[in-house]
Amino acid sequence: MCVLTAWVASGCGASGRDSAANDRASVVSAADELATLTALPWDSVVERARGTTVIWRKWRGDPAINAFVDGWVAEQLRTRYDVRLEAVEGQGAELVNQLVLEREAGRGRGTASLLWINGETFAQLRAESLLAGPWAGVLPSAAYVDSASPIITRDFEQDPAGYESPWGSVQFALIHDTVRTPEPPRTFAELAAWIQAHPGRFTHDQGFTGVTFLKMLMYANGGGVDAFAGGFSEERYARGRTAVFEWLARVRPQLWRKGTTYPPDVAAMHRLFANNELDFSMSNNQHDVINKIRQGVLPPTARATLLRDGTIANAHYVGIPFNAPNPAGALVVAELLLSPQAQYQKLRPEVWADGTVLDVTRVPEPWRSRFASLAQDPRALSRDSLARYARPEVAPAYHERLQADWRAWVRGDTARRE
Amino acid sequence: MSRSLTTPAASRLPLLAAALVAAPVLVGAGYAILASLGLAGPGQAANGMLDASRWHFVLSSRSTWWSIGWSLQVAIISTALATLGAVVVAAAFSTSTRADRWARGVATLPLPVPHLVAAASALLVLGQSGLLARIGYALGLVQTPADMPPLVYDAPGVGLMLTLAWKEWTFLALVAIAVRGSIGDLYDETATGLGARTWTRWRLVTWPLLWRGLLPSVIAVFVFALGSYEAAVLLAPVQPAPLPVLTMERFADPALARRGDAYVLALLALGIAALAVGLHEWSRARWSRLHTDTTRGASS
Amino acid sequence: MESRPVVASAHRHDAWCIVVTTRLPAPHLLRPIALLALVLFSLGPMLLLVLQSFAFGWRWPTLWPDTLQLDAWRNVSSGTLGRGLFTSAGLAIATTCAAVLFALPIARGMATLPRPWSHIAAALVFLPVAAPPIALGAGLHVVALQLGVAGSWSGVWLAHCVPAVGYATLVLTGVLSTRDARDEEVARTLGASAVHRWRYVLLPQLRGALTEAAAVAFLVSWAQVALTLLVGGGAVRALPIEVLALVRAGQETEAAVGAVLLVLPAMLALSALRRGAARV
Repeated sequence: MCVLTAWVASGCGASGRDSAANDRASVVSAADELATLTALPWDSVVERARGTTVIWRKWRGDPAINAFVDGWVAEQLRTRYDVRLEAVEGQGAELVNQLVLEREAGRGRGTASLLWINGETFAQLRAESLLAGPWAGVLPSAAYVDSASPIITRDFEQDPAGYESPWGSVQFALIHDTVRTPEPPRTFAELAAWIQAHPGRFTHDQGFTGVTFLKMLMYANGGGVDAFAGGFSEERYARGRTAVFEWLARVRPQLWRKGTTYPPDVAAMHRLFANNELDFSMSNNQHDVINKIRQGVLPPTARATLLRDGTIANAHYVGIPFNAPNPAGALVVAELLLSPQAQYQKLRPEVWADGTVLDVTRVPEPWRSRFASLAQDPRALSRDSLARYARPEVAPAYHERLQADWRAWVRGDTARRE
Repeated sequence: MSRSLTTPAASRLPLLAAALVAAPVLVGAGYAILASLGLAGPGQAANGMLDASRWHFVLSSRSTWWSIGWSLQVAIISTALATLGAVVVAAAFSTSTRADRWARGVATLPLPVPHLVAAASALLVLGQSGLLARIGYALGLVQTPADMPPLVYDAPGVGLMLTLAWKEWTFLALVAIAVRGSIGDLYDETATGLGARTWTRWRLVTWPLLWRGLLPSVIAVFVFALGSYEAAVLLAPVQPAPLPVLTMERFADPALARRGDAYVLALLALGIAALAVGLHEWSRARWSRLHTDTTRGASS
Repeated sequence: MESRPVVASAHRHDAWCIVVTTRLPAPHLLRPIALLALVLFSLGPMLLLVLQSFAFGWRWPTLWPDTLQLDAWRNVSSGTLGRGLFTSAGLAIATTCAAVLFALPIARGMATLPRPWSHIAAALVFLPVAAPPIALGAGLHVVALQLGVAGSWSGVWLAHCVPAVGYATLVLTGVLSTRDARDEEVARTLGASAVHRWRYVLLPQLRGALTEAAAVAFLVSWAQVALTLLVGGGAVRALPIEVLALVRAGQETEAAVGAVLLVLPAMLALSALRRGAARV
């Protein structure tokens, strides 16, 4: 039995290595196919994609986004390009693991043709050569991308280099209830004082949003975002880490549950906030609060607020994996997502209110006037204050290290460097 | 019997078939061993050499042992509670009256509820702002959610224990009812005829047969409670983290090289499960004959 | 069993039992109270979920939702929950068929094994059932990748079959090793063919156990989360996956709808099955 097991298990690895040569042919052909497509005129790409299916792995944790993608986007793809879209769950680490395993198995093409990625996921995928490209520049709508915005042209300080195409942008905001907290704190110093005056009413979550909050704290108390720009540096991180944990140590006894435990993710935080266990929630999307009010998750008196110390704004992108079964279809979907029509639809407050990555002064009519006249939800934060307090992301290593160190700090593990 | 007609080789065939059923687990274990040593998977070392550092790190890390200990504790307590509840149901509603039959049906009705749904409703009921707290508020016992003792995301893991206990109780109730039914009333009636009181009858007649018949299922339930991820991720605290949650965390570690940790933890969990499987089979083998004899004795 | 120890201990515990029975107030009320507690404890969480599925805006400290609406339910047929329901049903039925088909000959074979081997075989069969889903799923994922079925319906179906066959075999082994095999012997000596023996002797005897095994296999597949996620890679959207996504997204009402869809049909099917089996 052990012999059988070992043989099968080694067979998995061996077949990966031996047939890697053969399958490199099909692996190369996926990237090769993409390279060929990028050289073709756009109409040929559309023709190639006609009648095909594209599986897009994206985050499905927000029904507003799901409704937009499964509804409007899929409908447009069907009627305009005759492409069938299947948006399935997948993000972050599981994407990377899956692609690594697929490459190891060496079985030619995978299942997903398009991925929703940004930040550290992009860094890991690029480091492992799991993305095909470059291709983002061949999309017709790429000409309208706002190349002046550092948030879009740099993904966590990395150059997309055509391996991913932007499709939306969001900004972090705190959420509070105007009835319970009519005068929310506006800086981290005020927040610390507020926490100490209201014990047990504030916390952050364990997930991406919580670490983003800590990153903002690092910027604010570590000397500003410029102190951390320009790549990862151990000593700069050490200074930032000291600032973060100093602040946390000060407020920890007054955090929710005395800072011994934290909600697993943002949805749990929203539930706690709505049910009066917390006075603050947070979200990576400044418009999330309004979407959630519409869905009945948050009370109607909830509003978003920004910190004057600056909140993090970032863009999200789509990428094509190295073993995409349908690169032509993926290009078409990416183009639709980038098109002024989709960007406008997405920006509408009753749909998603996801920021556009296009330069709205350069897009063709009628979209230019439509963008200009798009009315915001009266409860939303003004574009001016959003722009004023926006801070870009820095190198992904800061995020990873902060997350690991925070977890170690909560668990009481001595931070080990392996 | 047909056994004398079969060749030794053919008589081993069912064993091979059973091995085939277990094969995926063994293959998985084999792959996990390779991955934990850096020879496969996301944590693969670039030079293809054996790397035992992940084993060293995980086994020497405090959070690993906290996690295993905590998960074991939660599983043991929830299994004990579930067993208690199941035994109470089987003993209290053991007659064949319509009310008792109906009660037995009700007790086993929530069997198809998955861990996920049980955990979601536990959040609704046991949270500091959940149904119990709101009933407390209506009764004036609780003013704000913070007055309610924390049962979810708490260090002792009470909410998780109650959820797992509730889920496993329906399964164990089903088994307990079946075992109680197969024990039959013959011994009970004999003991009553000899003048034994209710408690004595229970202690010396029913209970010894019941727990031996239940033991394999109790061990099985313990293993399920240990490996449940969905309930743990919704209800558990940050520290100590349940073993399945810790494993998934390591799978998602930003440093690819450290993802081998997840395979080490999975192998540790698999080891505990294999131990439980052995115990389960031993207890089944030890007492199934006793059980069969009693049923034959009761019916003859 | 010896009668003497029973009587002797009965005398010793007489006093305690008298205390217990006379101290309890109105013991005849105990039964209805116990019944009520049972119903509350057993069905309470489900009833709560049903209420939540109709709720819009139900927050602290109200004991009843602010508004009741049918919107979440109306979206079922058009949305992801309806599709998930079909996917799960298809997977579960296919798994049940395959599991029972495989489990029966395996269980029968295992019943003929001599003593030490039968226990080893039973332990092997139980292993995929007891293995933590994460460990099992990782192994199955690798196998599925090798076979080229990862991320597809067939891959997930195969993955579900693994624990399902294990469970079903255990259920059938339990019955097959304790049943009376003499009827089958008689049929064979009377010259009945294998087909006849199966049809007229074996299957009727095993009907209850087969129903039980089928029910267990169905449940294993129907409620499966980890294997569907790990082997399907998010591409196979079974109903529990949809419910998990909704719970993770904080969409209480839709998640409750999904939960009811997940549990109610299975509950009804199981009780019908049990009533049918009881009548046999």
